[in-house]
Amino acid sequence: MTAPIFEVKGLTKKFRGLTALSDVTFQVAPGEILGLIGPNGAGKTTLISLISGTLLPTAGEIHFEGRRIDGLPAFKRARLGIGRTFQVMKPFPGLSVLENVTVGALFGATEGQEKKRAKARELARELLEFTGLTRHAEQRADQLGGPDRKRLEFAKALALHPKLLLLDEVMAGLNHVEVDEVVALIRKIRDRKVTILVIEHVMKAIRNLSDRLLVIHHGQQIAQGKVDEVLADQRVVEAYLGKRRQ
Amino acid sequence: MKNLQRAGLALLAVGLAAVPFVASDTLVQFGINALLVATLTQGWNIIGGFTGYPSFGNSVFYGLGTYGTAIAMAQLHLPFGVGLVAGGVLGVAFALLFGIPILRLRGPYFAIATLGLAAVMSAIVATIGFAGKNIGLILPLFRGDTLFYELSLVLLVAATGTVAWLARSRFGAGLVAIREDEDAAQVMGINTTMYKVGALALAAFFSSLAGGIHAYWITFIDPGSAFDPTLNVRMVIMTLFGGPGTIFGPVLGSFVLSAVSEVLASKVSTVASLFYGFVIVLAVVFMPKGLLDLFQGFRHSGFRYFAQNMRRFRL
Ligand SMILES: Nc1ncnc2c1ncn2[C@@H]1O[C@H](COP(=O)(O)OP(=O)(O)OP(=O)(O)O)[C@@H](O)[C@H]1O
Ligand SMILES: [Mg+2]
Repeated sequence: MTAPIFEVKGLTKKFRGLTALSDVTFQVAPGEILGLIGPNGAGKTTLISLISGTLLPTAGEIHFEGRRIDGLPAFKRARLGIGRTFQVMKPFPGLSVLENVTVGALFGATEGQEKKRAKARELARELLEFTGLTRHAEQRADQLGGPDRKRLEFAKALALHPKLLLLDEVMAGLNHVEVDEVVALIRKIRDRKVTILVIEHVMKAIRNLSDRLLVIHHGQQIAQGKVDEVLADQRVVEAYLGKRRQ
Repeated sequence: MKNLQRAGLALLAVGLAAVPFVASDTLVQFGINALLVATLTQGWNIIGGFTGYPSFGNSVFYGLGTYGTAIAMAQLHLPFGVGLVAGGVLGVAFALLFGIPILRLRGPYFAIATLGLAAVMSAIVATIGFAGKNIGLILPLFRGDTLFYELSLVLLVAATGTVAWLARSRFGAGLVAIREDEDAAQVMGINTTMYKVGALALAAFFSSLAGGIHAYWITFIDPGSAFDPTLNVRMVIMTLFGGPGTIFGPVLGSFVLSAVSEVLASKVSTVASLFYGFVIVLAVVFMPKGLLDLFQGFRHSGFRYFAQNMRRFRL
């Protein structure tokens, strides 16, 4: 494995009594897609929030491009090039789709590049094209349908020029065709040399996409490695089947 | 079209500036009040309309501007210009100091935290001998309504110019993003703390200068009138009435409401006191996006505009 772009060591998060995440350790290589799976309430979203800085860890370290970032506020991590989507989507509801994405371009990782609104809007238009939202550009974000809202989450995160993209269940609630479209979109994003951490319950998609898998259960990291090996792991099967058959 | 708009605005400004030279004294005095209230409303628009933080602390900025100017002039015998600066510095310093802890609270919690500030400040000032205790201060008399009028107009134009800049700048885009969704704004690289405090300081700047001008004009201040919470309520209503987050809505809203309440007050005073209550209810139900939106929407779809609003906001 080449030098990791991103590394987590002994990451732990406690919410008062509840340990949502306990001693999680992994690395991600540049350009890799790491799949993150686990049953409901396993701590997946918590992990993404710790990395993006919307939550602060109880213990552990996060390194990005050789730099320790776990003490930085969220906006600084965004400017370093860490983009995320939200499981509970967070568009800017009263703004147009184009304006939504323009904000990311104005404040993103390319310091000094897109500070002019016109320039940022240009970049935003490109991203709308890339994510297939061009015909909705002038529509208010809260009037978009479900799948288009997901695309908007992508476009907003991409407007930052992220080097690392954290995707939280971007396929939930989509039909087969839409899932395939999103899978294709994620591949296209990877082709832009973006490293991706993707949380997903849709097994077919995660199997297709991921270079490696990380499995979390009750906040514990129970398996990590090649996709097929991990999915055949006894503990992973138990964690999943135990949950699914209730 | 753009040039036409600009020319119209310039003409309007010149027309407003000419008022003291052609109108009666009463009208000029009404004008000074209306311009200062419009400036306060525009200040509230920055923190409430653009940033989405419903502040009830803006009357404190106004009050500090009032007292800064009054103390400098009445106690230290400094000129008005120095007094204004002192008031502005006090107001902005307060915004920076208290903004940081209070702006951590969101939505209704923020509103409640700011709600008591005016009462507290009023009580504190009433114990300070240097500030005239609960009796207040008398400023040197200066008769010059024309000057006060023009000064108030300049301040309003400056506040509105600032808001126009917000509407197209990166800073303003950041504020709007915070209003729309603060969590999303953060992970898109916006330094939300700095932006919010910046917005509050801007609001404080214009509000405290308005207070300073008003103090010298009225020549007498006391804690109750300087830190008047109902003044803040008027800023909120006028902003909402005109169109929060727009450039001219708050100015339009405050001019219209100032004029209507002036007319009502001269007729029946009980009606005047009920007036704002009615305005709130009607505005919220029929035009939750303000007068400006009403005009645009009405041109577009006539009376159906009201029905559309009620459907859109599920009223
Ligand atoms: N802010 C919070 N305060 C308290 N507890 C929390 C908070 N956020 C998450 N939790 C708890 O931490 C645990 C992990 O939650 P998390 O959202 O990370 O799970 P998840 O793996 O993303 O689940 P899902 O698949 O349902 O999205 C859960 O038990 C949850 O209730
Ligand atoms: Mg989750």
